[in-house]
Amino acid sequence: MAEPLALRVGYPGAGVRASQSGGASERQVIGSRIAVRDAEKRYGQFHAVNRINLDIEPGEFITLLGPSGSGKTTLLNLLAGFQSLDGGEILVDGRPVHNVPTHKRGFGMVFQSYALFPNMTVTQNVAFPLRMAGVDRATTERRVAETLEIMRLSDHANKSPSEMSGGQQQRVAIARAIVMRPKVVLMDEPLSALDRRLRESIQIEIRDLHQTIGSTILFVTHDQGEALTMSDRIAVLDAGKIVQIGRPLEIYRHPSNRFVASFVGESNLIEAEIMQKRGTTVTLKNRAGYVFDAESRDAIDVGRVTVLVRPERIAIANEPTASSTPVTVTSAIFLGEILRIEAQMDGGDTLLIRCTDTARRPLPDVGDRLHVSWGPEDCWVLT
Amino acid sequence: MTTISLSEEPRHQASSSLAMKLKNPALLLLPAVAFLSFIYLLPLVDLIRISISGPSWLTYFQRVFAVPLYWESLVRTMQISVTVAFLCLLFGYPTALLIHRTRGITRALIATAIVLPYFIAILIRTYAWMVLLGRNGPVNKFLVSIGILSEPVQLLFHRGTVLLGMTAVLLPLMVLTIYSSVSRLDPGLTRAALASGAGPIAVFWRVLLPLTLPGIGAGFLLVFVAAIGFFITPTLLGGPGDQMFAMHITQQADSVTSEGFLQALGVVLLLITLLVVAIAGRFLGLEFIWGGRKLTETTAGKAALAATSGTARRSFGSAFADAIGWPLLRLFGMLPASCGTWTVRLMGGVVVALLILPIIVVMIISFSSASYLTFPPPGFSLRWYEQFFSDTNWMRAFWTSALIAAVSAFIAVGLGTCAALGIVRGNVRGKSVIMLLLVSPIIVPPVVLGLSLYTLFLKFDLVGSVFGLAAAHAIGGLPIVVVILSAALQGVDSRLEQAAAVHGASSLTVLRLVTLPAIAPGLAAATFFAFLHSFDELVLTLFLSSAQLKTLPLMLWGDINYRLNPVLAVVSTLEVLLVVGGLFLARPVLATSQKAT
Repeated sequence: MAEPLALRVGYPGAGVRASQSGGASERQVIGSRIAVRDAEKRYGQFHAVNRINLDIEPGEFITLLGPSGSGKTTLLNLLAGFQSLDGGEILVDGRPVHNVPTHKRGFGMVFQSYALFPNMTVTQNVAFPLRMAGVDRATTERRVAETLEIMRLSDHANKSPSEMSGGQQQRVAIARAIVMRPKVVLMDEPLSALDRRLRESIQIEIRDLHQTIGSTILFVTHDQGEALTMSDRIAVLDAGKIVQIGRPLEIYRHPSNRFVASFVGESNLIEAEIMQKRGTTVTLKNRAGYVFDAESRDAIDVGRVTVLVRPERIAIANEPTASSTPVTVTSAIFLGEILRIEAQMDGGDTLLIRCTDTARRPLPDVGDRLHVSWGPEDCWVLT
Repeated sequence: MTTISLSEEPRHQASSSLAMKLKNPALLLLPAVAFLSFIYLLPLVDLIRISISGPSWLTYFQRVFAVPLYWESLVRTMQISVTVAFLCLLFGYPTALLIHRTRGITRALIATAIVLPYFIAILIRTYAWMVLLGRNGPVNKFLVSIGILSEPVQLLFHRGTVLLGMTAVLLPLMVLTIYSSVSRLDPGLTRAALASGAGPIAVFWRVLLPLTLPGIGAGFLLVFVAAIGFFITPTLLGGPGDQMFAMHITQQADSVTSEGFLQALGVVLLLITLLVVAIAGRFLGLEFIWGGRKLTETTAGKAALAATSGTARRSFGSAFADAIGWPLLRLFGMLPASCGTWTVRLMGGVVVALLILPIIVVMIISFSSASYLTFPPPGFSLRWYEQFFSDTNWMRAFWTSALIAAVSAFIAVGLGTCAALGIVRGNVRGKSVIMLLLVSPIIVPPVVLGLSLYTLFLKFDLVGSVFGLAAAHAIGGLPIVVVILSAALQGVDSRLEQAAAVHGASSLTVLRLVTLPAIAPGLAAATFFAFLHSFDELVLTLFLSSAQLKTLPLMLWGDINYRLNPVLAVVSTLEVLLVVGGLFLARPVLATSQKAT
């Protein structure tokens, strides 16, 4: 699990960067550039969106990630025009859109509830935006057929949405959103109503689709795994503000604060005191007295800090080594390809450890003593 | 030991299986079904029997269709009912949308403005219109003051007033029916249509309207069916040329000679009602009567049908759509979104004013110091309240009504609760038929019911008895109780009951400790509405009461026809207060039962 994830995380960042900087020229970018400037939306005293700034490149796949109530859906609704801004502005290709009603913005949109028109067939649903735009019948039929082909729905063209499975319905909804080849596609938690297996396959489908159509995609989710898998960049939102924006790898490895560290991926947050600092390496000591090195880009050199150690970066051994510290196993679960171990350090801190299953390592028992260690490159000092 | 236990066992099993049978909640349906069979079905059957008891079975019916007076009145009734249903639809749909689109306190206020009149007696609401449109009423005063009229004119007693009055009385029914259909829509659909480039008009035409069509159909038919049996409003607001069919039945009821013919009139009205309901039920499912949803969703079939018929009629239909339909929709898309919003607000506002203003005017007039009806009142006093409370006739009528209503509510709630338990928890075939029987009194025109009961009451000497009237009122109270309590019971998770049973509670204990507390609010609401139904009932009372037994609505009816004075406004105000109080108490229940149905 850990490795494929890392691979996949690595792919979008690298792949799309290459195509955008002109390396692979087969991808045609038709997407708009979107700029959100000091956007604000209030409900009474509550700031749903609190002075957000966000620049989205043409053709970029950007994910708004955050817990419920963080303002991500509100921001999407502001972009779609379902709600109006209380302050700031939104520019699409340099032009402000606050006076443009939803139906004239020309965006495609996919909803969590699918929102397929139950009184129309699949074909009629997908044709709806074309009819509204005044595209003639012959072109409409051709475009609908093409789009259904892309979404592998050709066999279902004359079905009613209620006769289809959730996954198929969501593919129809996606077909309806892209049939106009819109410059911007907004996706509001489109996969959260689907089961896990289906979700993963549609994730890849959307990812590939993004490569094909070249639209700018704004994707809202509360699922960090989904965000890591699909995005060019992720904007992590909390309490109406963007707390960090960056490529998936960056967000995962170098979160800007505790919130991002704990929201994206599993994490061990270890309180430690700075002993000394040499260049970018600091020597730290935690409550249990374990002394370890960590890399830090920041200028802090004294006091207490929080260190992030991802569970898969912790090495375990049965015998003590020079740099290890002893822990007591409190739970050990075999999850398939990995072992998930919870252990207590002598100072009381709980550590979460994930390691791949190998023949040499038996599943530890509760109460076993293990020796854990991590290197300076495995830690990230949070401010 | 073993032999004993062996011999014990079969007997134990037999008794337990009998006990099991007796414990089947479906048995709880029996009292209500028996009650309705005796006091509701039997008289209706008897009504039909008398109507065909002439020399030939067709004799009386031939007279109904041969005499122009009745035939024309039947046509007129249809015309008026269709017009009223259309007017209700025209104004009701935007109002339902308005409730759906507003939020918070505004929504609560608009919803109250619709629901409140729904529970106020038709008699009182009609009286309010008479006050409003009278020679000294506010409408005349206003028109004179702004110079449109030079002197007050007669605004009452013609076709327009009948249509206005009936539309106002039946609007809440339409709004509530459509609203329940609109509120079930996924709000994402509107957004999806907008995001697909559809303007507000196109969203309405292509998405909102097709999807709420069943609600529109249900509302239209419910209003139509109610309108063809209407009697109070056209009698009070109409002129000589606005005689509706139900009015003939009450007029004929006074003359003894018309036995048989009278019943034939009733049967004609009943058959038309049943025919309309049957046709509607064919398309909407008969659940529309009590606001339920059709159990088998047929949208799938419809869409598939649309697709196949689409290919058949492609050439003409699609050419028409391409040439006119879609471009027109796109053209309307140019309209600013505020157009639709303002249409909805304006029409919704008109409806709210139409429903609330008469009530407010009547409440103000009840405090008038003038000795006749005039608005605005020259001064304020409590003289009419003093007169009401010191008049022994009014007070006796009030207490009689309260007593009858209490007994009636007791009957309706007792039978209705058992029936609801049986319907929801029981395991019995033909549930929908039984539910239909229990709820059908809603759609039978009260005039027909009153007529049929009169014969039964004569036979058993129940005319003018408190118990008889209470039982008659309970016919209409029962459906209210069954609908509210079925919804409440469906809201109770049956796993809660199972959990209690697993932990050792007997079925009666489960009922007492789990089920009843869970539906207690629903029970309170049902009791209140059953009480109110009887308290307001006039039409059945007209048939079944005697000179010695006068109820409050009967006194009101007599006074309205005799002289319009502010005492009636006092009674109306007290009724409004009663309803407001009851609705306030029932508020949480209404919210949940709305969700459950």
